[in-house]
Amino acid sequence: MAGIVLVKGHFPRRRMAQIVGTNVMRYVFGGAGRSWLRNISSTAPALGSMTLLLLLSGLVGLAGYALTNLERVEAGQASLLYVYLRDDATFLEVNDLSSRLVKDPRVASVTYTSKADALKRAQTIPGLPQLASSSDSNPFPASLDVQMKNINEVAGVNSLVRSDIAVDPSYPTSYDQGSYQRIQNVLFGLAVAGIVFLGLLGFVAVTVTVNSIRAAIHARRDEIRIMQLVGAPRWMVRGPFVVEGAITGALSGAAAGLVTFGLVAAGIHAGSASFTQFAPGVTVVVAAAGAAMVFAAGLGLGSGSSLLSLRRHMES
Amino acid sequence: MTRAYGSRLALDDVCLALEPGELSFLVGPSGAGKTTLLRLINREIRPTSGKVWIDGIAAHSLKASRVSDLRRRVGVVFQDYKLLPQLTAAENVAFALQVGDLRVSDEEARDRALDALEAVGLGDRGASFPNQLSGGQQQRVAVARAVIAKPPLLIADEPTGNLDMESAWEMMDLFEDIAAWGITVLIATHNVEIVKRLQRRVLTLVHGRLVRDQPAGQIGRMAWLASSS
Repeated sequence: MAGIVLVKGHFPRRRMAQIVGTNVMRYVFGGAGRSWLRNISSTAPALGSMTLLLLLSGLVGLAGYALTNLERVEAGQASLLYVYLRDDATFLEVNDLSSRLVKDPRVASVTYTSKADALKRAQTIPGLPQLASSSDSNPFPASLDVQMKNINEVAGVNSLVRSDIAVDPSYPTSYDQGSYQRIQNVLFGLAVAGIVFLGLLGFVAVTVTVNSIRAAIHARRDEIRIMQLVGAPRWMVRGPFVVEGAITGALSGAAAGLVTFGLVAAGIHAGSASFTQFAPGVTVVVAAAGAAMVFAAGLGLGSGSSLLSLRRHMES
Repeated sequence: MTRAYGSRLALDDVCLALEPGELSFLVGPSGAGKTTLLRLINREIRPTSGKVWIDGIAAHSLKASRVSDLRRRVGVVFQDYKLLPQLTAAENVAFALQVGDLRVSDEEARDRALDALEAVGLGDRGASFPNQLSGGQQQRVAVARAVIAKPPLLIADEPTGNLDMESAWEMMDLFEDIAAWGITVLIATHNVEIVKRLQRRVLTLVHGRLVRDQPAGQIGRMAWLASSS
């Protein structure tokens, strides 16, 4: 009876994948790493300008996030009308005014705040505790806090209530005509300035990176030519340069992300130590997310700039 | 095929076919269009009009992303060798093999590179860097690199241009051996003596036109070659 000899070997497809993986690592990633180190002097300006851009982008981005939150808070506050009551207003007078406001279709809700509650609230606002403690009596009036459905209706309700008998004639409401609009104008101006500033910095960073990759292409032109002539696929010839750009971008992004996170964390810490809010909505988690986005932006910017340079400066 | 640079015709309606295993010389004065023809064959440039077929591939209409498929079928040798100075002779040859085909393992690439170097008479110089080799030896490494992937066509642009006569003859022996193995070899050269003595097919370009296609074994009137060398 004939015997069967089984020879156990590597699974060919797995072995092939290993070989291809090794070669890709060596020629695409290894080649890119060596070239990046060799050309560090020509890459340094790109690294510096990209780090600066990403750092400023991170800080401006987080500032924008804080301003957006501030705008939301301001919009909420602007649509909340405090109707200050006379100290000697009777329960019936206040109740009558409150009932009329509740029935008004423009009003979302009405909440009564007593003098004691007003004092408590004031003590949570920076600067006001000193004011509150400087007087023997409670200087803060009771109020009806009227939440409007639409911010544009505040003026109408304000004019309706300011002459009411229950309302303090000397300082009837918190209404400040145009305050919300002024804040929006300032925020819009800041947003436009930020975008223009980042656009300019972005242009500089992309230009410098494109030129550094161009220098790398020039330094490796013989190798590129040989790779092209022996039939290396296009992605393999171009891949190392994209990786080089990605290395530059990743290092810039990592540095900028760390500095951004460090600065924001320090700001939050300093703010909490002095009982002031550093930036509305900006927490340590938000700062970490911002740093991660800065890193990802660096990676994208570096590889994108490389692709741009390759399209311009490398022949097929 | 025709190739124009602006209003100047570098190649003007050139028509030729090369057979498998055939060794041919491409001759002509400087600026005749020899290098342009080689670049068209290797799809470094496209013809302005006409067609270029290489081993069944239409080089004239090949997309940039598919050029590597063609280049793997065409080995190239240059006058200035174009070896990577930071790699040894064996590494230069193995590099060409592996970047052309990522499925080749390190061991296989090294073994095949050493075999190719052995075949060109440099079996003992695999570990030498290009600057440790003579011009003739460097050109042999370049030939080994060009044929390592066994392309059906080998083109050489002035391969003996930087070599002394003895090295040039050794190089020609090598090209004859390569052709004997079935690889088509096209050599652009100014070296009249070699062309005369080898008695191979001679394609003569003048001002971009193929003025003579002289079959192998026939000695024609090539007095002008002597004046152009």
